[in-house]
Amino acid sequence: MSLVTAVRDYINRMLQDISGMKVLILDSHTVSTVSVAYSQSELLQKEVFLVELVDSISKSKESMSHLKAVFFLRPTSENIQRLRRQLASPRFGEYHLFFSNLLKDTQIHNLADSDEQEVVQQVQEFYADFVAIDPYHFTLNVPSNHLYILPAVVDPPSLQNFCDRVVDGIAAVFLAFKRRPIIRYQRTSDIAKRIAQETAKLMYQQESGLFDFRRTEVSPLLLVIDRRDDPLTPLLNQWTYQAMVHELIGIQDNKVDLRSTGKFPTDQQEVVLSSEQDSFFKANMYENFGDIGMNIKRLVDEFQQIAKSNQNIQTIEDMAKFVDNYPEYKKMQGNVSKHVTLVTEMSKIVEERKLMLVSQTEQELACNGGQVAAFEAVTNLLNNESISDIDRLRLVMLYALRYEKESPVQLMQLFNKLASRSAKYKPGLVQFLLKQAGVDKRTGDLYGNRDFLNIARNMARGLKGVENVYTQHQPLLFQTMESIIKGRMRDVDYPYVGNHFQQGRPQEVVIFIVGGTTYEESRSVALQNASNSGIRFVLGGSVVLNSKRFLKDLEEAQRIARPSTTVL
Amino acid sequence: MATRNRTAMYRKHRDAVKSVRAPLSSSASGSGGPVIEMASLLSSNRSSYAPLSTEDPGPSRDAFTVGLPPAWVDDSEEVAVNIQQARVKMTELVKVHAKALMPSFGDGKEDQHMIEALTLEITDILRRSEKRLQKLSASGSAEDSNIRKNVQRSLATDLQNLSMDLRRKQSTYLKRLQQQKEGPDGVDLEMNLSGNKSRLEDDEFNDMSINDYQMRKLKKSEQITGEREREIQQVVQSVNDLAQIMKDLSVLVIDQGTIVDRIDYNIQTVAVSVDEGLKQLQKAERTQKKGGMVMCATVLVIMCFFMLVLLILKEIFFSS
Repeated sequence: MSLVTAVRDYINRMLQDISGMKVLILDSHTVSTVSVAYSQSELLQKEVFLVELVDSISKSKESMSHLKAVFFLRPTSENIQRLRRQLASPRFGEYHLFFSNLLKDTQIHNLADSDEQEVVQQVQEFYADFVAIDPYHFTLNVPSNHLYILPAVVDPPSLQNFCDRVVDGIAAVFLAFKRRPIIRYQRTSDIAKRIAQETAKLMYQQESGLFDFRRTEVSPLLLVIDRRDDPLTPLLNQWTYQAMVHELIGIQDNKVDLRSTGKFPTDQQEVVLSSEQDSFFKANMYENFGDIGMNIKRLVDEFQQIAKSNQNIQTIEDMAKFVDNYPEYKKMQGNVSKHVTLVTEMSKIVEERKLMLVSQTEQELACNGGQVAAFEAVTNLLNNESISDIDRLRLVMLYALRYEKESPVQLMQLFNKLASRSAKYKPGLVQFLLKQAGVDKRTGDLYGNRDFLNIARNMARGLKGVENVYTQHQPLLFQTMESIIKGRMRDVDYPYVGNHFQQGRPQEVVIFIVGGTTYEESRSVALQNASNSGIRFVLGGSVVLNSKRFLKDLEEAQRIARPSTTVL
Repeated sequence: MATRNRTAMYRKHRDAVKSVRAPLSSSASGSGGPVIEMASLLSSNRSSYAPLSTEDPGPSRDAFTVGLPPAWVDDSEEVAVNIQQARVKMTELVKVHAKALMPSFGDGKEDQHMIEALTLEITDILRRSEKRLQKLSASGSAEDSNIRKNVQRSLATDLQNLSMDLRRKQSTYLKRLQQQKEGPDGVDLEMNLSGNKSRLEDDEFNDMSINDYQMRKLKKSEQITGEREREIQQVVQSVNDLAQIMKDLSVLVIDQGTIVDRIDYNIQTVAVSVDEGLKQLQKAERTQKKGGMVMCATVLVIMCFFMLVLLILKEIFFSS
């Protein structure tokens, strides 16, 4: 049930029956889908000698009728229009059309109308409509993610587009797995409810024939939850490899763009961090920073050994061995320099922003500690000149989320101090966050202080002490997964859609977080899957968040929501 | 993984549309008075469809049916054929290697020759293919050059894999050969040495025969060292060849797992380089227009006319 394998299977099937030289044409969304799962060299093996975007393919008028065109697009109206223009004056010998989701009948008719020269050989729906960044983690790269925060009345058509895109993505995941799930959603979130209901309508009514798969003993579960139930995780600074790179530098479709952080030689400006292709990364992506440092040092030592022995070419055998192993050596060299560069950059950033200091307080705000000590710590850090604006904002937000009700006066003091210290701070942002994701709005027990079991657990943990202060925090998702495993998910909090009901525990669970996932949560899921509990979890979201992105969504939503609040 | 085939529905609709279109076009070709009427009917019916290309479908259809691939495709196909040939020869080579390694009564010279010949052939094919491959990177339109580059890369990867495969097979063969030769030879020599000693002790009077025997032994060991040297030379030669090929190819071959192996990166760089190319062309056009040369030429021509006029005037004035 790996997402990456599913996408690869689709692409393989697309290309396998078409012989001869091919050109693959993608749109801006499917290019992400294909790029994370398939490499350029693999395409070349399948005789695909040109890859282009559908927007630029129409600019050239050159006829290349010795090539067969394979289109893989999302079935949007813009893409259909572009295709129609292409079909009217075809450039290639044959046209094979693959769409990543369901086609409407009118779209098929429109295409058929334009195909005067009858160049189209096949029209198929191959449901790879999601970006499979890790085997159990997918994202949809939704452009206007901030819409999930706003109420429906603000911009109904845009919100409908957002929901449609999410429903399409979720449906594609289940079509790829050939499953039809039972759907549950978070009661307190309107948008989660809407998405859950629209997905159920699609799977059980509109396209019930398509989704009518062989039923397994226990149906799989789709759980739709809202980001705002756990605003804590995206705000925290991360210390495990994959999450840390995304938090400090930024990962997009498994690529890291280093150009913004400094000057690098051309081949190191952009690097690939993919667990499928890089075995060192796969072994270390969930390790914490200290361990990574040691492992990279070991890798560098290994590499230096080999490099030294390569310089020591005394005999013919040595020379022969060097020539034999040269490709491996080159690959290793590239890999080592990539990881060394990343870790160096991150160390630099940690040093500049004093993140070890900041993160300690963050973790205490997230996990334990008393209110008085927390207030003092946050005040001190706010007064500290070398802390950056974004870190100050995060600290105040974390404090506010936890101690929202406990001491309003001190909270006000912090707001004022923040506003006076940070020139770029948009006033009211913290209050906006509290309004969206405050203790009254949340379903889950974010701080483990709602029911006795959680309080007891926290106390036990406090007494035992933690291995690593910086990685104490466990995302709320971990508790959600535990309650699914134990079958303890309350119907009151997470109702079913329609009259479905789950007998027993599901074997396969897809959790979709509206508003975005984080790499810390995907790490939680991966570790859970590795622990052989008998249940497979898959995590998906509208985007992959880091603190910068989460704050940007909040700001954007606040900016849009403000005029309407003044009206009200 | 679920898929859904919509080709049937598509074809059905396409045929339906075609049958509606066909009678209209045939009636348009009809002559006579009601041509104008027909034409208006035609245009009104056409407008009910989605706007099609305004091009006359005739000539484009002709250009479409030609569909010959560009010339360089022949080169790339030849290289592909060569690679296939090389693969076949490699399987032959493996068989001959295996045969040569088997213990036999003959001295295996012909096997050696076959191995040498085959190895040379394969190396030769690889070298020729590599040279041909380098020729592929000529100029052309942006898209075409991209396709050519990708074809080059794919063939280069195949060639490199083949050369490495050949190297590996050679080295395993040589290793096993050395093991074999050393084994019996070591024992042989030892036995002969001890035999020699005993003979020395026994046959002190048979100097001639001993010398003869020793000479033969020496000759044989010389022969063996000579053969060993030749083999080493062969290894050195093939290592050099293959190293050269690999060095040349490594520029073309994509390193797997790096950013260059990403499809989205390649699309970006195409877009960037096409844009860059366009900008360069535009800049060149502009400089050419503004160009000093044109200016100079026009200035000179004007000056020439001016001088001519002066000359004529001078003639008029001074001749009057």
